[in-house]
Parts: sequence; C-alpha cells; structure tokens
Amino acid sequence: MEFESIEREIYVEASPEIVFGVVSSPDHLREWWPDEARFEPVPGATGELRFGDPDAGGKLVAFSVVDVRPPRRFSFRWAHPAGEVAREGNSLLVTFDLTPSGGGTLLRMTETGFRRLGWEDAVLEHEYQEHVVGWDYFLPRLAPYAARLAVRP
Amino acid sequence: MSAAAATAVQVDDDLWAAIGDPTRRRLLDLLIGQGEGTATTLGRQLPVTRQAVAKHLAVLDRVGLVRATPAGREKRYRVDDVQLARAVATLSSVGSSWDARLQRIKRIAEAIQRNQESDRQSDQRQ
Repeated sequence: MEFESIEREIYVEASPEIVFGVVSSPDHLREWWPDEARFEPVPGATGELRFGDPDAGGKLVAFSVVDVRPPRRFSFRWAHPAGEVAREGNSLLVTFDLTPSGGGTLLRMTETGFRRLGWEDAVLEHEYQEHVVGWDYFLPRLAPYAARLAVRP
Repeated sequence: MSAAAATAVQVDDDLWAAIGDPTRRRLLDLLIGQGEGTATTLGRQLPVTRQAVAKHLAVLDRVGLVRATPAGREKRYRVDDVQLARAVATLSSVGSSWDARLQRIKRIAEAIQRNQESDRQSDQRQ
C-alpha cells in the first residue's frame, strides 16, 4: 500500500490561459474549493484558506504559493502549521501542470507529502472538507455561479 | 465541531497514525496474504525483531485493524475486514475529493471559454 501522492488528469475544453486563471486566482479558487482564499498569486506569497465559519467549527488553513508560470504551471503548499514557513515535511504540495491539447487543455494535478505528514493532518483536512463542507455544500453554490457565467452581458 | 464529530476525528487520527508506519503496512499486507500470523511467524519475514513486531501488532490491535486470539504463549492475529475496508474507503475519499474539485475547475473554465466565444461571435455580428 503506497499513499505518498495523489495524481489526477482531466481534459478541459478551454484555453490554458483560462484554466490557469481558474486554478490560480483567489476569486476562482473559492468557487471550486474553500469559502475564502486570501493570497497573492506570486511565488513565495503566503496567505490562507478559510473553510466554513471559524467561529462555528470551521477553520483557517495556511497557504503558500510556490511556483507561478502562466499558463503552464501553478503550485502551492498548504496545511502547514500557522506561523511556520511551508516546506517539505510540514505541508502538502499541490502542483497544477497545464498542457495545450486539441482545442483545450490537459490539466494534471499532483498532491504530495502525505507520508511525511504521517497522514493525520492530511486526512483530517480532507475529511473535514468532504464531510463538513463537501459536495452537498458546494453544489448549491456552483449552480448559480455557472448560470451567471453563462448569461451573456 | 460537535462532540460526536470530534470523537470521530480522534478515532481517525489514531487510525492514520497506525497505518502511517511502513512496517505496520507491511504487517497488514502479510496478514492479508496469509490470513493470520503471530509476532514470531511475522517477525521471521521482516527485518525487525519479534519484540518490535509485537509492539506494532499491539498498535494495529488498539485501532481495531487486527483482532487477536490467544495461541499458547503468544497471540494469533487476523485482519479485521470491516475496519480495514473503512480505512481504505477513507483513503480513497482523499482522491475523490480532488476528483470533485477538478470537475468543478473543468465546468468553471469551460463556462468562461463558452462565454468568451459567444461574446466574440456577437461582436462579429455587430
């Protein structure tokens, strides 16, 4: 059994420029992941993700930008202890690689660092999002967002 | 977080600590393949002492991944299929949460692309 990393690949019928914006801009990030994302999309910038209401069981998670190469690569570290500098061993590294393909983009996502975290923190984070702010929570928010985008100005 | 949710998280925390160790994962692999084993029989197949194996088995027992029955002066261990299935399901949920996120990324990006194309088409018509 090896649980070192997660790798996923998905084809998106949109240009790499558009996909890059969706995976790297804080405004878009909160449409597909946290409730709030605060960071500058520049290498070395630190920020945070907010899941739920911190006063009601939600939490703030540290976020640190690693690599920004539009429209080919965006990577970041997250889930390191607040106040610590993100590095190998105390955080999860997520890398998005974008490759032009046909009329769209091949998007590859890799998340590594579980082994070093001993899994506890990583699974806690994921468990939290799956069960507390999971699909049931995201779906009702996503539909109006998609509808807004589809409305022609 | 409710008290019940906090307890569930604590249980999972122990479960992941148990499964996070390579020797314990190897022990689980051996037990799955062989059906059962003792610290002595398992220790012969691993580059660690029988005492170390006994300690690792006790950790797995504590979180319910294995069940022990007395066998002479030792204990005979078997995998608890239900608890192992639960652990595997949670591990795969880490992957499925990324599947869900990537599907959302795909929908958002494709909606923007369609929007831009329809904007261009209406510009050309004007």
